[in-house]
Amino acid sequence: MSDIRILLVDDEPDIREVVDVSLGLDREIKTRACASGADALVAAAEWSPSLILLDVMMPLMDGPATLANLRKNPRTAHIPVVFLTARTRADEIEQYTSLGAQGVLSKPFDPMTLAASVRSYLPPPAVQHAL
Amino acid sequence: MSKAILLIEDNPGDVRLLREMFNDHGAHNTKLTHVDCMSAAEKHLGEHVVDIILLDPGLPDAQGLGAIRRAHAAAPRLPLVVLTCLDDESVAEQALQEGAQDYLIKGQIEVRGILRALRYATERKRLEQLKDEFVSTVSHELRTPLTSITGSLGLIMGNAAGNLPQPMARLLAIAHSNSKRLVRLVDDILDIEKIQAGRMVFNFSRVEVRPLVAQAIEANRGFAEGYGVRVRLEAAHTAADVRADPDRLLQVVTNLLSNAIKFSPKDGEVVVAIEKGIDMVRLTVRDHGPGIPVDFKPLIFEKFAQADAGDARQKGGTGLGLSIVKEIVDRLSGEVGFADAPGGGTVFHVQLPCWDHVASLAIDREAKPDAVRLLLCEDDLDTALTLREQLRQVGFATDFAYSVGEALTRAAATQYHAILVDIQLPDGDGVSLIVRLRDLPQYRDTPIVVVSGDPSRGRDDVRSAKLNVLDWLNKPVDLDRLVRALAKTVGHEANRRPRILHVDEDNRVARALSEIGDVVTVKSIEEARQTLKTGDFDLAVLDVALAKGAGPDLLPELRDSRGNIIPVVVFSADGANLASDAQVPSALAKSHTSIDSLMATVRDRLASRPTNPSKEVV
Repeated sequence: MSDIRILLVDDEPDIREVVDVSLGLDREIKTRACASGADALVAAAEWSPSLILLDVMMPLMDGPATLANLRKNPRTAHIPVVFLTARTRADEIEQYTSLGAQGVLSKPFDPMTLAASVRSYLPPPAVQHAL
Repeated sequence: MSKAILLIEDNPGDVRLLREMFNDHGAHNTKLTHVDCMSAAEKHLGEHVVDIILLDPGLPDAQGLGAIRRAHAAAPRLPLVVLTCLDDESVAEQALQEGAQDYLIKGQIEVRGILRALRYATERKRLEQLKDEFVSTVSHELRTPLTSITGSLGLIMGNAAGNLPQPMARLLAIAHSNSKRLVRLVDDILDIEKIQAGRMVFNFSRVEVRPLVAQAIEANRGFAEGYGVRVRLEAAHTAADVRADPDRLLQVVTNLLSNAIKFSPKDGEVVVAIEKGIDMVRLTVRDHGPGIPVDFKPLIFEKFAQADAGDARQKGGTGLGLSIVKEIVDRLSGEVGFADAPGGGTVFHVQLPCWDHVASLAIDREAKPDAVRLLLCEDDLDTALTLREQLRQVGFATDFAYSVGEALTRAAATQYHAILVDIQLPDGDGVSLIVRLRDLPQYRDTPIVVVSGDPSRGRDDVRSAKLNVLDWLNKPVDLDRLVRALAKTVGHEANRRPRILHVDEDNRVARALSEIGDVVTVKSIEEARQTLKTGDFDLAVLDVALAKGAGPDLLPELRDSRGNIIPVVVFSADGANLASDAQVPSALAKSHTSIDSLMATVRDRLASRPTNPSKEVV
């Protein structure tokens, strides 16, 4: 059975830690965290996560810019991205999804159900072909 | 840098006076531009840089609070100072609520006062905007640390609380519940700010009430258990669909539920019921709490209203829940209220329009069969109904489409003479709807008028896409301008019956006039003033003896929305001669004039009016 790999990108160390523990409640989920968009581009290409959980407001390269860069690289272009953000006005959500994000989760989140929310954005497992 | 003032004033004398005052006092750093009606002001604001608006709200095409509302809507970010003859404290207060920064009375203020008012209005407006931005930024900034706090506490409470020694577990529970309350407060403040700034987007669709209520009850189950309260859904099989935004409706039900739970006694019960009426669905939430104190009843929907501040704070409320409910229900074209429940407690109710009812309203079945049929693409039901009513009075039938999809379906089924498009629709924007309509061969040249709630949105898109839009109107819609725009192309104006304003108490005259044109009869000067705001008239028939001889006072106000004088046939008991100017070439003495000769005069006056007023430059 393959693990679910979640790459978390957030410039706030406390939030990285809380998200990491929250996702860790789900034993199938493995988490890796980055503090910046630039680090995330490298980690995404190396680690091929199942999904990237991306903060919006970050210094230097913000969430939308990181997403655009991920899409430019063939190795990371296909990875689903979900924004985790405090900015969840309807027009902002519309903007994020128009950029190609799979979804938006709002901060603050419920730590007990975060893993289930994240799972709901994963693509369905590939159909096993009978021999 | 000089300050650009836009003066909206239709009295040339006052304009001259203001200009002289400004010049005499060396107000060199001000540049005064003058327009004499609201349509011209809206046009000017769309095309020029203006720093501040000075408005006399007695204009030919907009009056009173309506004028203030329109000026504010046309330029929501500009400071607005009202300059009026009307010395009325309550009007002044309402004016400020409608977005004006100051309210000055003509004749009571000299130029230094005006200049000072302009200066302070600008500063107040700047502070207001600063406050809005501050609220928004702070709310977002608060969420980041709150995410860490609620997240950490949530993890402890969710996993390890059972293993902690008792006092510590209790203290952590307090910290956890209060951190969640702080999050709710931030959310509520953001919501209120969003609603008031008109930024809350409503996506209307068909919503099944029962599952939505069940979802809200489920979501509040833990909360209710915390208070030892049971929530029961009555009439669980009532099938009722309303037209609403499901997320916002969920917010309404959740707020009412959490309110009822908080004020219930331990082991109490909250009963939610759904009833289906003919046009409306009624949702009630009943608690068995202490009831609402009499003094507090009028304040219940106010912001930060709490009957007993200390008590409510203990209940974990923010004081914003019910005012959010009220604001949302208003926007859903619904109604919210409350009453003492028999046997103690309170019952809140929310009424929302049934889906079937709203859907059946889409086709205008009450218009005259020969009426010119328009399609109005608008998702706000109240706006749509108001516009239909107004358009019906000038001979149009108006069908509704509440979404882009519906608009395309209707347009394919019926050939409309013209289409009105709200720029913001639930399933797409008006601009893309216009693009798709223009792709249909039968709508390539159909007149399209844009009706916009946000003056800045989409305008450049429409312009650059060369979509051949007839006119662009901001909400609230200037009906006269809309009718003029439509008349130009629909050819309606040329054949219509003349509209006559009849200010008199004599029913015989009213009957006779109704053979000539569409007559609106009013019995007082005040009513006449109100009626003049509802649309243009071709002629007025006026008994000057009305209101203790105050009839002549009305004469200067008899103007249409373009500011043109409305011809008047004056009627007076004693034949007092008012035949003094172009407006009143003849006055008839009531006692000496037969109905027939009055009608002959009326026909003459109508025959001499301009044949095609719609050709005039707006």
